[in-house]
Amino acid sequence: MKIDGILLEVIGNTFMSIAEEMGAVLVKSAYSTNIKERKDCSCALFDAEGHTIAQAEHIPMHLGSLLGLIGEIKKNFTPDQIHPGDMFIANDPYNGGGTHLPDIAVASPVFYEGKVVAYVANIAHHNDVGGRVPGSNAADSDSIYAEGIRIPPVKIFQKGELVEDILNLILLNCRVNHIRRGDLNAQFACNRKGVQRVEDVCTRYGTATVTACMEELLDYSERKIRMALAEIPNGVHTFSDYLDSDGVGSGPIKLSVTVEIKDQDIALDFTDNPDQVKGAINLPLSALRAAVYYGVRSIVDPSLPANGGYYRAIQIKTRPGCILGCTEPAACAGRSDTAQRVADMVFGAMSQVVPHKVMAGSNSSITGVYFGGVDPKTYEYYVYMETFGGGSGARFNKDGLSCVQVHMTNTSNLPIESMEIEFPYMVEQYTLVPDSGGPGKFRGGLSMRKDIRVLGHDSQFTIKADRQKTPPWGLFGGKPGLPGVITIYPGTEEEAVIDSKKSGTTLKANGVLRCQMPGAGGYGDPMERDRALIVHDLEEGYITPESALRDYGLTEDELEQIDVFGKA
Amino acid sequence: MYRIGIDVGGTFTDVTLLNSETGAYYTYKLSSTLHDQSEAIANGTKETLALYGVPVEQLEYFGHGTTVATNMIIERKGAKTALITTKGFRDLLEIGRQTRPSLYDIMEDKPETLVRRALRCEVDERTMADGTILRKVNRDEVLRVLSQLKGKGVESLAVCFLFSFLNPENERIVEQCIKETWPEVYCSVSSTILPEFREFERLSTTVINSYLGPRMKMYIHNLQDRIRQVGVRVEPYITQSNGGVMSISSTIQTPVQTALSGPSAGVMGAIYIAKAAGFQDIITYDMGGTSTDVSLVKGGIAEYTTKRKVCGLPSGVPMIDVHAVGAGGGSIAHIDNAGALKVGPESAGANPGPVAYNLGNEQPVVTDANLVLGRINPHYVLGGRLKIDAQLSRAAMKKQIADPMGLSVEAAAQGVISVVNSNMARAIRVITVEKGHNPSDFTLVAYGGAGPLHAVHLAQEMGIRTVLIPPAPGALCALGLLTADIKKSYVKTALIPYDQATPEQINQAVLPLMEEGSRWLASENVPEQRRQFHNVAEMRYVGQNYELQVEIPAGLVDQADLDRMKEDFFRAHEMNYGYYNPNAPVQFVNFRSEAIGQVQKPRLAELTEHMETPSGAVIDHRDVYFEESGLVRCPVYDRSKFGRCPRVDGPCIVEQMDSTTVIPPNTWFEVDIHGNLIVNAFGDGKGGDEA
Repeated sequence: MKIDGILLEVIGNTFMSIAEEMGAVLVKSAYSTNIKERKDCSCALFDAEGHTIAQAEHIPMHLGSLLGLIGEIKKNFTPDQIHPGDMFIANDPYNGGGTHLPDIAVASPVFYEGKVVAYVANIAHHNDVGGRVPGSNAADSDSIYAEGIRIPPVKIFQKGELVEDILNLILLNCRVNHIRRGDLNAQFACNRKGVQRVEDVCTRYGTATVTACMEELLDYSERKIRMALAEIPNGVHTFSDYLDSDGVGSGPIKLSVTVEIKDQDIALDFTDNPDQVKGAINLPLSALRAAVYYGVRSIVDPSLPANGGYYRAIQIKTRPGCILGCTEPAACAGRSDTAQRVADMVFGAMSQVVPHKVMAGSNSSITGVYFGGVDPKTYEYYVYMETFGGGSGARFNKDGLSCVQVHMTNTSNLPIESMEIEFPYMVEQYTLVPDSGGPGKFRGGLSMRKDIRVLGHDSQFTIKADRQKTPPWGLFGGKPGLPGVITIYPGTEEEAVIDSKKSGTTLKANGVLRCQMPGAGGYGDPMERDRALIVHDLEEGYITPESALRDYGLTEDELEQIDVFGKA
Repeated sequence: MYRIGIDVGGTFTDVTLLNSETGAYYTYKLSSTLHDQSEAIANGTKETLALYGVPVEQLEYFGHGTTVATNMIIERKGAKTALITTKGFRDLLEIGRQTRPSLYDIMEDKPETLVRRALRCEVDERTMADGTILRKVNRDEVLRVLSQLKGKGVESLAVCFLFSFLNPENERIVEQCIKETWPEVYCSVSSTILPEFREFERLSTTVINSYLGPRMKMYIHNLQDRIRQVGVRVEPYITQSNGGVMSISSTIQTPVQTALSGPSAGVMGAIYIAKAAGFQDIITYDMGGTSTDVSLVKGGIAEYTTKRKVCGLPSGVPMIDVHAVGAGGGSIAHIDNAGALKVGPESAGANPGPVAYNLGNEQPVVTDANLVLGRINPHYVLGGRLKIDAQLSRAAMKKQIADPMGLSVEAAAQGVISVVNSNMARAIRVITVEKGHNPSDFTLVAYGGAGPLHAVHLAQEMGIRTVLIPPAPGALCALGLLTADIKKSYVKTALIPYDQATPEQINQAVLPLMEEGSRWLASENVPEQRRQFHNVAEMRYVGQNYELQVEIPAGLVDQADLDRMKEDFFRAHEMNYGYYNPNAPVQFVNFRSEAIGQVQKPRLAELTEHMETPSGAVIDHRDVYFEESGLVRCPVYDRSKFGRCPRVDGPCIVEQMDSTTVIPPNTWFEVDIHGNLIVNAFGDGKGGDEA
């Protein structure tokens, strides 16, 4: 059946609206703030083979989390074992298509006239799935067995009936499990909505048209990326960057990529990277793919539709046992910083051929802090998780964005008032960090600093961060931004810098944890920066007078004339 | 006596004049004067009154809808504003929710803040999460900050401290200092503007208010002078984003309430017309040249939201939940490089406009598609004020769409309509299905210049049975202005666990809000018998961060009411999210009271003539293309020639000055007593007379 450009758009719109509607149901009905406020979740529609047809993702990382899922289900269940009303649950990166254990996926087949015509699925980041630390997200675990419950694809619903045994088994392995239950309920409701809507579309258009349209959507997306790739000159480009450490003793770790553009294809080779490491920063294949798809889409054509068709023009090469594309039982809870580094490297390599479509190195650490303790008012155990943004790289014609999440994530912060009402903590400052944006003709975005004081009890925290040793790089003469730094008890005798991947640190009652994020790199020679922009940065306090003199070549006399921020 | 409503849009200023005794209303349109909106307002008033021979002394009401606030934010032309906030939190305004605006487009920027960093001042104070004050504000420090700001040409101040919604004391001290030492400066305080939790949204709302204040004050005083000069003796009322109106003095205090007022008057007009026709549950569908606004009305009451953004900046004041889609009559159709037919978001606007205008645009737009299909009069639009050339539309459609796709010109034009309708359908799903409603339970009320062209097909797409086309679809906003109530919402955040809640606690939260509302209504000169309150509680499961609204019954709340509220919460949760959990702990979060001053609603004029058949209204016949039937010869009716009529069969076209209604094959409509077209989109069922 031939699908014309009209039906393609009309049904394509309908598929997107299904994914969006599923997303709305999930976000609104979830229990945990992580899903509701930070929207750390994603919903998608797949064809019967498991190709992504439409995805409403709030976070590019989730492009990966759902990639392998349907394939794993089909590997584990024969067609006659899959029934209407079934729902599968999985989280394992090696057997369930996931990228790390806290992301739990739920998938449902959609039957029409007795046949599977599609799958709908959603994924949500759960605050805790067990393991050795609260939050299940330590960067210093040394095997996946320490990271929480591993779920291969299993049925959580059988012909519409909840399989309570499985649910109980999962919940018993998680901390704060009443919240897990609420979130899982939301995930189930989300899929039910998706199944119903896909059925409606089949009734309206017939399965033959729906199936043909899915195929054409994939082809359309492939045509679109190939046309964009054809505009880019052929060539081979290499780029390297570093991770601070693996969290259990080794580092810095050098990573690299070789990108080859050949006509209408792009190939990314990661074979020349270190073996997988002991710490939890290994990147499973599905997460590597997500990072690459994100980078390529952002650079080549941000308007590519959110389906799997464009993946066909992208070849990814790695080897078993490599840190990028790791194998069992490598620990991988902290894989997000590695994915961020891969995204940064794709930008770096591509800067050599499309300098107007990239940005300089960004904060590129999905910095997370997980606090656990017993609330002194309620005597209840809590887990509180926070993620922090930082600088975003400068571009060829403008400064970078300040205090944002970049690349693989875009989760919002928790409102301070919401956090202080729910948890025994107090935020003492939440500020921009002057000079954290790398100098350049266009300046890198600034990072932020947040001081969190624990109230009335000792708590334990686990930190997962990076870019504290290797700063975010500049491009074409732009200077690097400031690296991040995590400090406890700042301004006291006990002040100490904490390793970027440390779990189980005690924060004594009324002590302060200071999280300062990395900034981002500049673009172009700072001496070419427009004078008016330098003056503005000084007036607003985005740069200090010292930086103006040192990095931008301002003279003391010139400085005198400027109404510098904070000058009395 | 007469009531006049003036709605200023980007291109036109619409005037509606309503005879309070007969309910008859008249419309008038003139070009907007964007350098000074009041110019067109004064002229429009004068010209309309002259046209209909109404002496200015006969005006008993003057309603005005303005985009001044919205434009000020878009163009960044508000006041030089400074912020006073808690020590350590100057940058909260800039950090916001730490998200970037686009996941994949690295060239997109965050919206610029309305207060530059150099004017964001911190004072050493802190209120805790339980409302206790850890550090009291130091007056001397505040006075020092104020004197520094005075030297910097600051025109307005915003004050926002953490947890001021629980305890406003520190903010009050600052406010007092300002009153004492700088009385002339415009000032907004967060615990007054929006005493609600979530600091960034409260801060952003307060800052927007201060940014708008001084210029809004100037605009309104200028407007007052202008209309006095043409002899208007009544004080104007200004439309708010919540669908109500306020006096000018209230508007000057809270201009943030007008920031998204544009589409709200139309919603109120739609509610008014639909109610009179017997429809309480409606979807409003306002399709204009560049965008389309849709909203949901249940039981005659519009859905509200506190989560909207003004040009990317959060504003937490309650507004009608209008969902905008970037598609309208002027949206450009094109085939993208990989073969998909795209419509919008680029628009040809009013100038150069559709290809048919022959003003330089060569890319066909939605209006051109309607012309090709014969749905719009191929010779002129706007009652003959604008000559057009449908052949140009045809040629462009052939060249740009039909030939490359290997389709007939008609099939290509139909494709453009199908794609734009699928965009609209996606938007309507957002406001209905996602909130647990079924679109087929609603009536579609279509207005705006292009709404009636697409409405019936769209209704079919959504499974909506009934479509209502009001008598003057292009002037519904101005009519809404004349029927809107005086309205202001008060909020109090009080996190109370349901299990510990007593009726007294609820009353203690709500009564002060009602007292405040009463005082305000008194200041708006609303007599007591016209005052009304609509109270709601916002509840959630403990641990959730989204609240659902539950009605608080009028009068003092007792235990039975409290029980009922929990049941209502469960029902609302089930409706919105598909499940509820009877055992999980529930809490109250916010209490809201909407103070309403009911405005005397005019009776709508009734058609006196009764027609058995529509033949008397036929003015022409022409060929119109429909997907379901191909090209068919259709009667064209002149809307103004209709009396009441029980049944008019499609396919046909109904023309009027400001709009065209398309009635597809196998559907029919009735002209009701007020002149509405009530369309049966599935061609079954019975007419209004028989029902």
